[in-house]
Amino acid sequence: MMSSAAANMPVLVVIAPLFTAFVLTTLARRIRLVEGLVVFTGILVLIGSGFLAADVFNKETALIYQIGGWPAPWGIELKAGSVGVFFLLVASFVSVPVSLFSVNNLSDEVGGKERTARFYVLYLLLCGAMYGMAVTNDLFNVFVLVEVATLSCCGLVSSRNRPRAAEAAFTYLILATLGSTLILGGIGFIYIITGHLNMGFVHDELNRIWQSEPHVVWTSFSFMLVGFGVKSALFPLHVWLPDAHSTAPSPASAILSGIAVKGYLICLLKILYNVFGYTLMRAFAINTILVLAGSIAIIAGAVLALMQTELKRRLAFSTVSQIGYIIMGIGIMNTKGLSGTLFYLAGHAVAKAVLFLAAGAMISASGRKKISELAGIGRKMPVTMAAFTVGSLGLTGIPLFSGFVGKWYLILGSLESGSFFPAVVIIAGSILCAAYLFSVVRVAYFEPAPDENWKDPGLAQKIALIVLASAVLVLGILPDPFLELAGRAAEELLALK
Amino acid sequence: MSTMLEKLTINYPYFFAVILLVIGALTVLTRSSLFKKLFGISIMESAVFIMFIAAGNIRGGTEPILNGHNTGAVYINPLPSALMLTGIVVSVSVNAFALALIMRLYKTYGTTDADRIAELRNEVTDK
Repeated sequence: MMSSAAANMPVLVVIAPLFTAFVLTTLARRIRLVEGLVVFTGILVLIGSGFLAADVFNKETALIYQIGGWPAPWGIELKAGSVGVFFLLVASFVSVPVSLFSVNNLSDEVGGKERTARFYVLYLLLCGAMYGMAVTNDLFNVFVLVEVATLSCCGLVSSRNRPRAAEAAFTYLILATLGSTLILGGIGFIYIITGHLNMGFVHDELNRIWQSEPHVVWTSFSFMLVGFGVKSALFPLHVWLPDAHSTAPSPASAILSGIAVKGYLICLLKILYNVFGYTLMRAFAINTILVLAGSIAIIAGAVLALMQTELKRRLAFSTVSQIGYIIMGIGIMNTKGLSGTLFYLAGHAVAKAVLFLAAGAMISASGRKKISELAGIGRKMPVTMAAFTVGSLGLTGIPLFSGFVGKWYLILGSLESGSFFPAVVIIAGSILCAAYLFSVVRVAYFEPAPDENWKDPGLAQKIALIVLASAVLVLGILPDPFLELAGRAAEELLALK
Repeated sequence: MSTMLEKLTINYPYFFAVILLVIGALTVLTRSSLFKKLFGISIMESAVFIMFIAAGNIRGGTEPILNGHNTGAVYINPLPSALMLTGIVVSVSVNAFALALIMRLYKTYGTTDADRIAELRNEVTDK
């Protein structure tokens, strides 16, 4: 019994949220039960991915699951390798406190019980698609999961009953579909010249024949880069992100900024390293493109974030900047750079989730969106603002907080690859990040508060904030096990030449 | 030059797919009508579907059904067609969702023009 559950774990973690999502549609009236089920499923998946992580950690080989029992070139494979398991662990960990934060808190924001239940359906579909992206080893499967994630993201963005939300969702839908069409085109080019869809087989075939079809490989590379660039809001393809992430309900913003964009980045990482591989990336200078695009995104995103006056919009632009670090890290092709990237991805996921949740709590308590209007809120809502401060420190990369370790390894990796430029950009980006986040903290703590009755949110929300904030601290103080796993993942990515 | 032309005539489905892809992308990016944006997306998706199906097709091939009669016939590759069936389902759901959003926007703003909606929204926020 136990061993069969273990062998089926890669597919169980994907199916559990998808199954629960469809059960929820029948329970719309009983909102307590719905919320309980969502949190319960989240915890189950977290346990499952913890189990998978332990398994991969001990055995040092990837756990492969063949759907329907069909072996690799014909069937669809799920592969719980170090990269997938690392992201699975991060995504399933963040999704639990975020769903806990929405308990008893959503119906005001989305309007009514039925709409709340629908929100949870989309939330679970998005989580299921994310976990699927982590473990899938098949190119067409990547496209399907990307589309499931995109549609549920759009649903989450439009879940507030406001015209602004519908507009943001429409822009997002159109641009994201443009992106996924390009991704499908890129997959098509690969399929045409290799005849395979399984990542391992495509990799072997592609490395054998790429020299006879360089134009097709190049077109496929560019389709993939632009497609995933739109999806993960790489500057200047980020235009949909600020509206979408700032008009969504707070738990949705947290999951969209914290996890959803990372899912696409993990897919890009897997496609670049596991499908095209190290040799082709070098041959087509993809790493240089990624480092340049990432640097521009870091600086431009941070400057745009500084110019925003609304709190949630500032956080949304900050995501654009942070995505830059990850894209840049994907381009630093050595073990230190890649493990730093993955660690940074984890650190940003928890820090951005706590920032968005805290911002949402402050905005719903005070009814004010602008940073300048939130003066003195730190003394009225101590827990929320403390969590926000920890999140800011984590994102900026102060030592002992999550962002520091990731940035440190990114800098080490870039120096090892022999260029100073990324290191300089990372440091400049951190200074700008401190400028746009600490000014919020300053306004909240050191300016006189108006005479209003602003209160910390309820117990479930406080627990969610504290769990995420302590995760930021744990990643900063005790990074070793996570760094070890990230290092394994980096070696796994670089092992395929 | 003649080999170039030959390549184009032999591979004409891909050529059409590229033209459609460009038409679709231009429509999405330059038109301000929400409906036209949606049409552009559909055209782009169709272009990719055509590319896949052309890749799976073999001229003179038959459908890959083993019924005992046409043994030894050339079969087309069924996988791209099957994949594109999934792609079409995805595209239909995207269209349905986008149309629902357009309806909601039309109810609020009374127009389906993206520029006009942006103007109206700014007027509201200015007040």
